[in-house]
Amino acid sequence: MTELHFTRPVPVRAVPEGTRPVVSLKGITKRFGKVLANDSISLDVYPGRIKALLGENGAGKSTMMSMLAGRYKPDEGTIEIDGQSVRFTSSKDAIAAGIGMVYQNFMLVDSMTVAENVLLGQEGSLFINPAEMEKRVGELARRYSLDIDPGARIADLSMGERQLVEILKLLYRESRILIFDEPTAVLTPEETGNLFKALWNMTEQGKSIIFISHKLEEVIALADEIAILRRGRIEGELDPSLIESKAELASRMVGKEVLLEVNREPVETGRTVLEIKSLTGLGLVDVDLTVKRGEIVALVGVAGNGQKPLVEAVTGLTRPPVDTVFIMGHPWRKFFAESTWNRSMCYIPEDRLGLATLRNQNLVDNLLLTTRKGFAKGLWLDKKRAARDTRELIEKFDIRPGRIHALAWQLSGGNLQKTVLARELYRQPRFIVAEQPTQGLDVSATEEVWNRLLEARSMAGVLLVTGDLNEALQLADRIAVIYRGQILGVLDTADADTPSKIGPLMAGVID
Amino acid sequence: MLKIRKRDEPWKWGALVVFLGALLFSLLVGGLILAGHGKDALHALDLLWQGSFGNAWALEGALLKAIPLFLCSLGVAVAFRMQIWNIGAEGQFALGAIGATWMALTFPDLPRYVLLPLMFIMAFVFGGVWAFIPALLKLKLRVNEIISTLMLNYIAILLLDFLVFDAWKDPASFGFPMTPEFTPGAVIPSIGNSGIHWGLFFCVVVGFGLWGFMRFTRLGFELKASGEGARVAKYAKIRYGMLVLFVMTLSGGFAGWAGCIETSAVLGRLQGSLMVGYGYTAIVVAWLARLEPLNIAFASFLLAALRVGVENMQLELQIPAAFGSILEGMILLTVLAGQFFLTYTLERRQGGE
Repeated sequence: MTELHFTRPVPVRAVPEGTRPVVSLKGITKRFGKVLANDSISLDVYPGRIKALLGENGAGKSTMMSMLAGRYKPDEGTIEIDGQSVRFTSSKDAIAAGIGMVYQNFMLVDSMTVAENVLLGQEGSLFINPAEMEKRVGELARRYSLDIDPGARIADLSMGERQLVEILKLLYRESRILIFDEPTAVLTPEETGNLFKALWNMTEQGKSIIFISHKLEEVIALADEIAILRRGRIEGELDPSLIESKAELASRMVGKEVLLEVNREPVETGRTVLEIKSLTGLGLVDVDLTVKRGEIVALVGVAGNGQKPLVEAVTGLTRPPVDTVFIMGHPWRKFFAESTWNRSMCYIPEDRLGLATLRNQNLVDNLLLTTRKGFAKGLWLDKKRAARDTRELIEKFDIRPGRIHALAWQLSGGNLQKTVLARELYRQPRFIVAEQPTQGLDVSATEEVWNRLLEARSMAGVLLVTGDLNEALQLADRIAVIYRGQILGVLDTADADTPSKIGPLMAGVID
Repeated sequence: MLKIRKRDEPWKWGALVVFLGALLFSLLVGGLILAGHGKDALHALDLLWQGSFGNAWALEGALLKAIPLFLCSLGVAVAFRMQIWNIGAEGQFALGAIGATWMALTFPDLPRYVLLPLMFIMAFVFGGVWAFIPALLKLKLRVNEIISTLMLNYIAILLLDFLVFDAWKDPASFGFPMTPEFTPGAVIPSIGNSGIHWGLFFCVVVGFGLWGFMRFTRLGFELKASGEGARVAKYAKIRYGMLVLFVMTLSGGFAGWAGCIETSAVLGRLQGSLMVGYGYTAIVVAWLARLEPLNIAFASFLLAALRVGVENMQLELQIPAAFGSILEGMILLTVLAGQFFLTYTLERRQGGE
């Protein structure tokens, strides 16, 4: 594992006496339908400093920054720039006010040069000759010590260099507040180090930087101040020099309050339904994991530490190396070649609308999606029986609106998840992979999903992939913690000190 | 101020309202264009109506043109359902005509009940193979099917030209590029004394067949499900690659049948005038009909009627032939734009912002 190539030149910088914030968010609230994405957020950003915004996926980071960048309008609250209240109607307004954002997906024209991309869409840039363009952009790059050739074509550049071009675009527009959304996700450790030096340089010249991340060590290494966002609220603001350990930061990020409890009676375990043996590759390192019938094994970790490749390999979306994954006793290849529609494996994915359901089809068709072989009569499908069974499932799982002709996209998140769960349990699975099964659900739907998963233990083993520690502690018999593609430990939830051990492991700390 | 809001419930009859609204709007703009050219717009639109629906003769003409359009469009729609962008119906139509002609010229003396089925089978095979090629290229070499199907159209038309100018040219045609006339056994007969041939009946059978296939069979369901993308197909353990090959073959086969019917029943021989762009108009029809077989029947009849009507207008008012295409394009654009209102609704913003 490569570590971070960056040490801050000076310790955390103090805010000079009497400095006023360049940007102030005051009581910002944003709702999407019934979902509260941001709940009265207040935040100050000072010039010449790096502010890190730390939070799990879905904590509301992106929503908040999109409002600052003028893409969304807040439902309540105000944004102040230099003490003046502003109201952005489009991202143009935000750019004019000096706010620029580097998105995760770069917006560059591959066939044009660095200089052309930087000047693209700028006033009067149509009539500047290439040499003049390159000179201007070259000067700008030197001023902020960004190492890039203004005459190079984007297509020939690495991801790290492309990111520098995005930064140059903002600097050329004289942005004063630069927002970086997970900027290191696409970078090599070397490039990350270079980026951090560049960011530090820019703040030394008076720019303000907002750095969004869920990588703890990066945030501790770089930021002058850290704001933690959780469930749409600012959970707290910290001084990085006062943080004792990554573990402390991790537990503040994921939270420890118990919102919901269920009663879990142990079930006798049976045969092994999943066995992973020293799986290396796909971004995973020497992973061993077993799941038996009658137990729930949770896989937890900060998002992006290898959960996704692991789930994809187990569920058949990507092919793992030979003889590493065994499902219900069979090697991966044999299992997927011969698997039947029922009494087998089922997968409840995180992406319910995009992967698990047919968004424009009704609930009968959505039931048929993975159970169609059970309704086949030769070439034909027994739609009558499918409709009858759909009706029964709607009643049993209380799916609303209770009509079989409702289309998938019309259902709320909770009802959609119940639909997927109902269908997958209908297949009488022996092994269930449930990925973030309660993300975005309200308390009653969460409780329902939890109880169904606990019930399912009588016939199946469950691999529960979750970012919600409380969910893991409530449901699982064992918790495997994954960090950078490695399983750092498998903890028994019956042990009293398990909850306190998870945080450090999630941060990669092994004592 | 108006505010855009997503509909909670689908708009009942919305599709019909949008379609009629778009049609009306397009005719209105078409009328304005004519008026701009100094023509009497009302008179022109009356001529258009008379030419399309005004008398039995006009209706018959529209129905005849609707037959190949319907079959091509049905083929295009099956592929589009799966998000496979087959825009090669034109070429597959040509290949179908070639396949049918090959049979008609090779076995001229076979009785009708043997020769016609033979022609239909060969038309399906030729059209299907022509569509199978890009499907295979897409799967094996990741060649974009939009490009390959389009390119194959040109190859198909050149092949057809070669055959009528050279290999299959009728020695008695005084140099005109056409094959010899088909024997009576190779010609689809008319229904009774009307100008309509039995191809219409064939369309009805194929239409219902496809509708039933999509609705009641497992394969049809898998096709529909794969329309949500390859990832969903993979999640549901559907053999996506196989389905792509199957659906393209079916799509090409349908266009091939259209080519067979047009050659046999309307022209009675293979010649260059066969290619009038049904394969391209079929794409417009498929989208107008939102890929639903029954709607495709209506939309093909409507666009066929429009073609006939515009021809009438052209003769009477000396309007350029392009006017028909303009109207066609306008209807498609406004219908597609109008579909915004099926998912969203406008409502009055309450008390300013």
